Amino acid sequence: MISAIQVSNLSKTFVVPEREAGLKAAVKSLVRRKTKEVKAVEKISFEIAPGEVVGFLGPNGAGKTTTLKMLSGLLYPTAGEVSVLGHMPSRREKSFLRQITLVMGQRNQLVWDIPAMDSFELNRAIYRIPVEEYRRTRDEFIELLEMKDLVRKPVRNLSLGERMKVEIAAALLHRPQVLFLDEPTIGLDVTMQRRIRTFIGEYNRRHGATVLLSSHYMADVVALCRRVIVIHHGKILFDGDLNSLVGRFSAYKTIGVTLTNGTVDLAAYGDVIERDTTRVTLRVTKAETPKVTARLLADLPIADLTVEDPPIEDVIELVFAQEKPQ
Amino acid sequence: MSVAVHQMRASYAFVERNINIVKRYWAWEVVWLTYSVVNSLSVSYIGFGMEKLGGQGVDSRFLVLYLAIGTIVWRYLSAVFYWVTDLIGIERWEGTIEYTLMAPIQRITHMLGQTAFAVVYSLLHTGVILAATVFFFDIRLTNANLWGGTLVLIAGSFSFIGISIVGAVLPLLFPERGSQMTHVIIALLLLVSGVYYPVEVLPGWLQALSRLSPATYVLEGVRATLLDGAATLTLWPYIWPLLLIGTLTIPVGLRVFRAAELYAKRAGKLARNG
Repeated sequence: MISAIQVSNLSKTFVVPEREAGLKAAVKSLVRRKTKEVKAVEKISFEIAPGEVVGFLGPNGAGKTTTLKMLSGLLYPTAGEVSVLGHMPSRREKSFLRQITLVMGQRNQLVWDIPAMDSFELNRAIYRIPVEEYRRTRDEFIELLEMKDLVRKPVRNLSLGERMKVEIAAALLHRPQVLFLDEPTIGLDVTMQRRIRTFIGEYNRRHGATVLLSSHYMADVVALCRRVIVIHHGKILFDGDLNSLVGRFSAYKTIGVTLTNGTVDLAAYGDVIERDTTRVTLRVTKAETPKVTARLLADLPIADLTVEDPPIEDVIELVFAQEKPQ
Repeated sequence: MSVAVHQMRASYAFVERNINIVKRYWAWEVVWLTYSVVNSLSVSYIGFGMEKLGGQGVDSRFLVLYLAIGTIVWRYLSAVFYWVTDLIGIERWEGTIEYTLMAPIQRITHMLGQTAFAVVYSLLHTGVILAATVFFFDIRLTNANLWGGTLVLIAGSFSFIGISIVGAVLPLLFPERGSQMTHVIIALLLLVSGVYYPVEVLPGWLQALSRLSPATYVLEGVRATLLDGAATLTLWPYIWPLLLIGTLTIPVGLRVFRAAELYAKRAGKLARNG
């Protein structure tokens, strides 16, 4: 199968000015400006199949946004090759731009001072959407995202969550085949996050769109992505199945124990990481988990016992801590 | 449907967006219009002031009209200039620059919409200032060739587009204060174009520069039509330099803008941060 997105040895280096603090340094920098090279993305390679939803994870400054901007043609790579739907993004071919979209949670494509509906009309003209198709899509999105009352208000009057709903609708009006989503749920409450992620999932199912999703909220990633790419300091640390990420990087499991007669000291069974009046949470190595579980069941009056992988956030932290590119 | 029709529609969509933005800032428009009218009246009063300050044989009514034409034409040309240079400034202000530069349209389509809006807006804005000035100073325009004056103004708009597109590069290259930097271009044109005085009073080297400024021809042409009632057919000496300047500067402006856009995308200067 031909990949929707192909990235090979992609790099981006920025030249940024730097100087010491103080007036002397400020004056000196007028004559002799110091700069340094910052490697935002360094020789990353990956492929994404059509219709695949991939999580793109990394801490702040890891190179996620820079990568997404290069994939959408907003930034030109310093080196390497990119192909999205068979196009080279930096060429800005209209047939390419009409098939993609980029949603940046911390930017806006809707003009703040006018209602979203007016900006939708601008997008209709720019993306050459036939009137009937435009109305059908717009009305479908208005219904799915429950934003009937929002689209006629100036965007600046909307809450963050409401604004993100209309931003996403605007970005998808032309029914793009590839979605680059850069923290689309940032700053939203849990309900709104869920609504946005359900909408993205629904869009992917209905239109078979390819999605590359960057998010700091693991709930988004767990709900939408089977595959994740983890990037740190501009390099890919992991690319694969989300479950295998946990398997590969986490050496521990957590065992939650509820006893019928209150808590006792369970330190002999593993590291106690949490304890309340009725429940104790233990951390044990993966290898010892079956043995410890059996011992707990044999030794103690257990009311409830759960064995879980550590939270995905913890696993991601472990990945960042290791920092060994694959 | 042809590509041209699609591009025209997209251009019109930008006009419509700008109308919506102006409508949103209606209070600012009222303030700006009031300022422009008051400023034009103040400059025109210098004509009466010259007589009072002891000017012997000064035709103060002529002087008032001379200055009024200068200030009104300048208001028009600078309004066109600022709206066209705002091509990028407006996107920065609204925070939409990355999305607009990612949109599947030719840059010229975007510029065409911005320019069409600039000309219509500036004509309306200047029309109000003209009406206020005529009313205030009881100026009689019975001998004036208003159509001829409008023709020169429109040719002047064409000549200003290329310069303005080059000006629009500044906000693209300088995310901070780039819009304010465009003032330097308009200030230089103001100095050499004879807005409030005949260019003959300038030193020789500045007079030479005045021949390169489209505003010089616009002002001379409009003054000829409004002060002397010059017939439309006699306006060609003012119009052809304007058409020539526009024809030469627009392609240059587009190339400069294209190069600046490529540079901004390489250097990551589209967004102010991040």
